[in-house]
Amino acid sequence: MPASASTDPGEVSDLDLVKRSQAGDTRAFDVLVTRYRGRIYAMTYHLIQNETEAWDLAQEAFIKAWRALPTFKHDAGFYTWLYRIAHNVSYDWLRKKKIQGDGEFDDERTEHRVAVGAEATPKGDLAPDAAMTNAELGQRIQQAIAKLSPEHRQVIVLREVEGLAYEEIAALIPCSLGTVMSRLFYARKKLQEQLHDVYETSI
Amino acid sequence: MKPILTALFLVICTALASAQGEPPSVVSSVKHATEGHVWGALIFATNDATQLTGAKEPIHADLPRLNERLAKVFPFKHFEILGQHRQDIFREYESWVVPSRDLFMKIDSKGPADKGGVNLHLQVWREQQVLVKSDAVLRKDSPLFIGGPPWKEGRLIFVLCLERK
Amino acid sequence: MKPPSEEHDLIRWIDGEMNETEIATFEERLKQDPVLAKEARQMRELSTSLRTHLPAEMRVPHADYFNTQIEVRITQMALDEARAKQASPGLGAMFQWLRQPWFALAGTAALAVLGFFLLNPATGDASESMIISSYTPNTHVQARTYHDSAADATVLILDGLDAVPAERKVSGINIQRSEVEPELASTTMFDSHGTPVLMISRDALGNPMITPRG
Repeated sequence: MPASASTDPGEVSDLDLVKRSQAGDTRAFDVLVTRYRGRIYAMTYHLIQNETEAWDLAQEAFIKAWRALPTFKHDAGFYTWLYRIAHNVSYDWLRKKKIQGDGEFDDERTEHRVAVGAEATPKGDLAPDAAMTNAELGQRIQQAIAKLSPEHRQVIVLREVEGLAYEEIAALIPCSLGTVMSRLFYARKKLQEQLHDVYETSI
Repeated sequence: MKPILTALFLVICTALASAQGEPPSVVSSVKHATEGHVWGALIFATNDATQLTGAKEPIHADLPRLNERLAKVFPFKHFEILGQHRQDIFREYESWVVPSRDLFMKIDSKGPADKGGVNLHLQVWREQQVLVKSDAVLRKDSPLFIGGPPWKEGRLIFVLCLERK
Repeated sequence: MKPPSEEHDLIRWIDGEMNETEIATFEERLKQDPVLAKEARQMRELSTSLRTHLPAEMRVPHADYFNTQIEVRITQMALDEARAKQASPGLGAMFQWLRQPWFALAGTAALAVLGFFLLNPATGDASESMIISSYTPNTHVQARTYHDSAADATVLILDGLDAVPAERKVSGINIQRSEVEPELASTTMFDSHGTPVLMISRDALGNPMITPRG
């Protein structure tokens, strides 16, 4: 599970802030918001790929967390707990707003479309890796992720951004370990297909 | 994407048009849970009668003396309803109020409020740009007047009200 | 398509989830299978790029407002609860809540909301609509709200918006009914004759898209 942000020795611990928040101290909660808003927003942004909605959902996550504070048991880290709430809020939104794409939202169809080892990927006219700046590559990656299905986007964010272990991803989604691995495989294949001009020329 | 949606829209239009006059089951639509119904209108306010567009949209019965009331807030003599939209507030889905393609609103219900009101999250959009987001409580007989962008020598106003029934 | 076990091996190799024996076995396979080896290397490079380009922490736009809004919403929730309790023991419960020490430290925005509730005499019976909070993404645009008793309306004024060009023909539509299509995340709008007029959906970035454009 994602670890909490490292705190300076003089900084008030999450535990103290959570206890004060549970007693109704909004100032303490405000410190927690400030401490974790950047990470929570990054997660919602990567999942949603829309700045405005990601901003709202990050906020929604903190508000849900505030409401749920009485049930927080201190047996898990605050950030882990908060992250789970934010993930659920974002993923629920994503499922609710499933946008009609190019068949991207059906894992079966997606998997068939991206047959492994398909050599016949069309060649794009985009700049090859050598000519692509770091910023351009970042933008291409964001665009490619935006085209993934919610399920594929979810595993990519949980694994590549948060660095969660397969077991943790399986517990969070929830699904089987095999599903996690399959989704990761096809999500990466899908990204690879979209970024083929970068990776075909780079090796 | 756009051509696909245009084509899809045309297919839906054709299907619905061909179904007109047939039993309701043919055009059956799933009834989604609602929190109430709103009426939204785009209004052009101006002091120059020659700038009016000639739109003849009727005023909603729940909003008596609408022009007089608008004049209390906005310093204009003429108020013209350009477009209007009656819309369910879906409980589970976003609801759009589109009295015009130029200025429209997204509504997300956050559940009922006291005194017959409803808690809403509102977003006013101008094409692909969100102008404002608000959390609001909307109650019957108490419209919301939103002063929007200037147009010509007047102003565009969005009116939203919760219908009595 | 590869058998699932091969897909899983590839993924576990990329993610460093194999033990040494498994790594040795798999890398021996890569030597024997150049197609698989190429795929594995490309996928590993992609994975490295993703980690580089997807930051785990991002700057939150309008960060101060982000915090303030949360405080406003929390205050609003507390007020709602106090109101609910107020129904039986009267105003005492609400003022008891207001005397909580932490409340005195709440942010100005939260106080503004409270002020709206307490200072606006018409809200005593809360029979009118209310704007609880507003946010304008464009920092040049300001939103102000108040209740106009003469107009018997709640007003939200947006100042600083760019004018709609005078030459633009702003026209309206008359919509009487709509049907939502959850699977397509779209809504079709109908006029008073039951004729479909337009459909609204979302583009890949989540922005609304009206079809046809009119």
